[in-house]
Amino acid sequence: MSINKKNVRNFCIVAHIDHGKSTLADRLMEKTGQVSERDMEEQLLDSMDLERERGITIKLTPVRMFYKAKNGEEYIFNLIDTPGHVDFTYEVSRSLKACEGAILIVDATQGVQAQTLANAYLAIDNDLEIMPVINKVDLASARPDEIATEIEDILGIDASDAPRISAKTGLNIEEVLEQIIDKIPEPRGDEDQPLKALIFDSYYDNFKGVICFVRVIDGKVKVGTKIKTFMSDKQFDVTEVGVFSPKMQPKDSLVAGEVGYIAASIKSIEDTAVGDTITTVENAAKEPLAGYKKALPMVFSGVFPLDGSKFNDLKDALLKLKLNDAALSIEPDNSAALGFGFRCGFLGLLHMDVIQERIEREFDLEIITTAPSVSYKVYKTDGEQLVIEDPTHLPPVTEIDYMEEPVINASILTPPDYVGPIMELCQYKRGVYKDMVYLDKSRVELKYVLPLNEIIYDFFDSLKSRTKGYASFDYEIAGYQRSDLVKLDMLLNGDICDALSIIVHKDKAYERGRQIAEKLKEVIPRQMFEIPIQAAVGGKIIARETVKAFRKDVLAKCYGGDVTRKKKLLEKQKEGKKKMRSIGTVEIPSEAFIQILKTDSDK
Amino acid sequence: MAGLYIHVPFCKQKCTYCDFASYPREIGKVESYFACLYREIEGRAKQYENTKIETVYIGGGTPSFVDSKFIAGALRQVRKCFEVSSDAEITVELNPGTVDKAKIDEYKSVGVNRFSIGLQTGFDDQLKRLNRIHTAKDFLLSTNLLKGENISADLLIGLHDQTAEEVFKSIELAIAGGVKHLSVYALTPEVGTPIYTDYLNGELLSDDETADIYEKVTEYLKDKGFYRYEVSNFAIPGYESKHNLNYWRRGEYIGVGVSASSFMAGRRFTNTFKIDEYINAVIYNKSPEISSDIIEGEDAKFEKIMLALRTAEGLSVKEFNEEFSADFMREYKEVLDKKHKYLDINDGRIKIKDEYLYVQNDVLLDFMKE
Repeated sequence: MSINKKNVRNFCIVAHIDHGKSTLADRLMEKTGQVSERDMEEQLLDSMDLERERGITIKLTPVRMFYKAKNGEEYIFNLIDTPGHVDFTYEVSRSLKACEGAILIVDATQGVQAQTLANAYLAIDNDLEIMPVINKVDLASARPDEIATEIEDILGIDASDAPRISAKTGLNIEEVLEQIIDKIPEPRGDEDQPLKALIFDSYYDNFKGVICFVRVIDGKVKVGTKIKTFMSDKQFDVTEVGVFSPKMQPKDSLVAGEVGYIAASIKSIEDTAVGDTITTVENAAKEPLAGYKKALPMVFSGVFPLDGSKFNDLKDALLKLKLNDAALSIEPDNSAALGFGFRCGFLGLLHMDVIQERIEREFDLEIITTAPSVSYKVYKTDGEQLVIEDPTHLPPVTEIDYMEEPVINASILTPPDYVGPIMELCQYKRGVYKDMVYLDKSRVELKYVLPLNEIIYDFFDSLKSRTKGYASFDYEIAGYQRSDLVKLDMLLNGDICDALSIIVHKDKAYERGRQIAEKLKEVIPRQMFEIPIQAAVGGKIIARETVKAFRKDVLAKCYGGDVTRKKKLLEKQKEGKKKMRSIGTVEIPSEAFIQILKTDSDK
Repeated sequence: MAGLYIHVPFCKQKCTYCDFASYPREIGKVESYFACLYREIEGRAKQYENTKIETVYIGGGTPSFVDSKFIAGALRQVRKCFEVSSDAEITVELNPGTVDKAKIDEYKSVGVNRFSIGLQTGFDDQLKRLNRIHTAKDFLLSTNLLKGENISADLLIGLHDQTAEEVFKSIELAIAGGVKHLSVYALTPEVGTPIYTDYLNGELLSDDETADIYEKVTEYLKDKGFYRYEVSNFAIPGYESKHNLNYWRRGEYIGVGVSASSFMAGRRFTNTFKIDEYINAVIYNKSPEISSDIIEGEDAKFEKIMLALRTAEGLSVKEFNEEFSADFMREYKEVLDKKHKYLDINDGRIKIKDEYLYVQNDVLLDFMKE
């Protein structure tokens, strides 16, 4: 079956978080009969438990829909869902490359938000046609007229005829479907040219091998076609092609303009990098499509299995996650305290959180993560320049000329009442004030330059507690800045615990050292000897706490005859001990590390 | 050579900390219980033929709460079914307030030669709070009936607001009553007992406070001529409980009655905790056991170590090597090195140093093989 490109529309939906993207996608599928209302699990696209729970989209999910338009013709819509959070900008740009247009959803009560802007600009950068939609008009506080003006003023996009919808109730969804046909261009590309298919996502299937999610730009691919990618020399025979509806549905072929998947018994995930171009072995395309800008991890953390023997399981889990998350960086790590594990790089804090939760849920592994760190630039006195992601790799103080730390441009939206507390917080976090704009009577945007290492350490929680949850926070990396940084070590009974070392600003070292020492005192169980806990900077002790030796750890109840019970009690105690990590002479329960990392400064 | 334990699961009322098999409302079953007990004694004697009994211990519950004829009957049955050595140590537990001269005379007539009195504390308000049935004065009335006898007493530490001085006073009271052996147990709040609520509400002493009292009490008793021969047991030399020492030395013993534990021929087994189940099992010639484990290999070795390290005499390396055809010093070299600070290794014996006896679990755990 040949398809008429004129009747295909490839688009994505972009929006600020919680503006109703997934709900609209669900509604579109329902209206096009893709899913019956009855069968519909709420927010179908967010298929990961995690996504549904957090109300965010992380992975890309394409869906193919059929729509019979009012002009009588039938259309194929390929919707590619995109993640909404700033940490996943990279993934958004991946899916945009596979589309011709983007539906921009704006919440009729909140208006244009930070991510509305960022995603709209991203879409414009990718030459997409933007189709604004005003959502949540059913709410009492909806201001659709004002919002339409706002879209025009801020984004420069005509919103006069933007559909005013309620994705929740289904109001005016048909108008959205009709506008998709009118406003979003038909696919570019030529079926008769050599094959060029952009891999925008992939995952590993135990039976079929790697499944590549592709947008066919030029040419045609079908079962039996010999294919190769531009980055790898290997050749593969296509075993299956198909589309998403939204479940995978095999098809004879995929042609220019279509979005679907290709399976070709590809064993290794490295052979099909996301962003690579697939072409045919014979009559190959001369050049690949423009790929993606590599996303650089900004936040780093050690990830270790709670049970040391699960190292290989953790490795497998991380590799599988990396398969379709190019932004995740992994390298083997070895900590004296935590054993073998990995040092992982993430795009941001949410990305880190999501990866950690996915490891625990999808792979059923318990993990310990070390305090998040950022990458520092170290300029040594001998002229050498280093990038340090792990505090334990920092050279001795005497060899360091100076250091630089990454900073961010932060934008905080808040009701005016909380401006004071937020400014206090930003000042405490070493922020530099840049600007304050009243967006309207109820919203102020504060702009600060803040060191990233202050953000990764409980900034969100502090912001939330100071603003009763009303403020929203967004940031982008804004380069490096010279800073007076020191390495803070924690010593237990005289031994440095490498997993607890952090790099902090000189002025914060004392406070952080004291906090961590206090927390350690709480979580380290008493042992047979007194344990001094010390915080040290460059060999100088700046804080000290003590865990007293325990005084009673004995089975001291009567009835000597029941030896079995005594033994059982000891066995139970031994089980508990197995979960401990030894740091020098001191034993620490693994959970303690997690507790320590959750140190909150807002006491 | 073995010990024999007889359990009497009856008492007047439950103490607030008690989670032992003892049932105040089941007193109507005394006759049938003892009938079954006699049968179990007979059965065990057949099962473990030619076992010579060196010690007998009648515990509970409150053995002195039931008519002394049952206790006497049990001992006669033991003598009938087993060979009992002529110098056997035969102990019966008493509660002050449940004894009179006739009872004690009957006990003595069947060979009881050691009396263990549950004093717990010498303070009436504390006794009342524990739901004990007696007063401090009752204790002295009991010991008056036992002049010249080998008497032991139990004391508890860790009670509500208890001070070391109060425990000293209780000890003085016990000594005044002629006690030559003292067991000092740390109150252990178990789930399901009334005192557990007090524990949850923080009304009992903390472990640190209890340990503090324990240390002071150990010193105090030393001054009074009582040496600590096991974690919780103190005696004037020569008055140690042979029955208990047999437990720590991993000797054999037979336990009869509900909840009683035995260790015979490498097997540890425990009887049901329920009186009805026990009676039914015995009547129908079924086993009253609810658990049975053959102890061998590393398990047996660990038991030997775990039990021996509770005592002042410690573990004899020679005895261990002979018993298990092992080389203790080589096999446990790693632990001995790691924990040498807490151990005394002298004259072929391994002991936990006095000052670490009350924090010994951590040392024991290292001896436990994975």
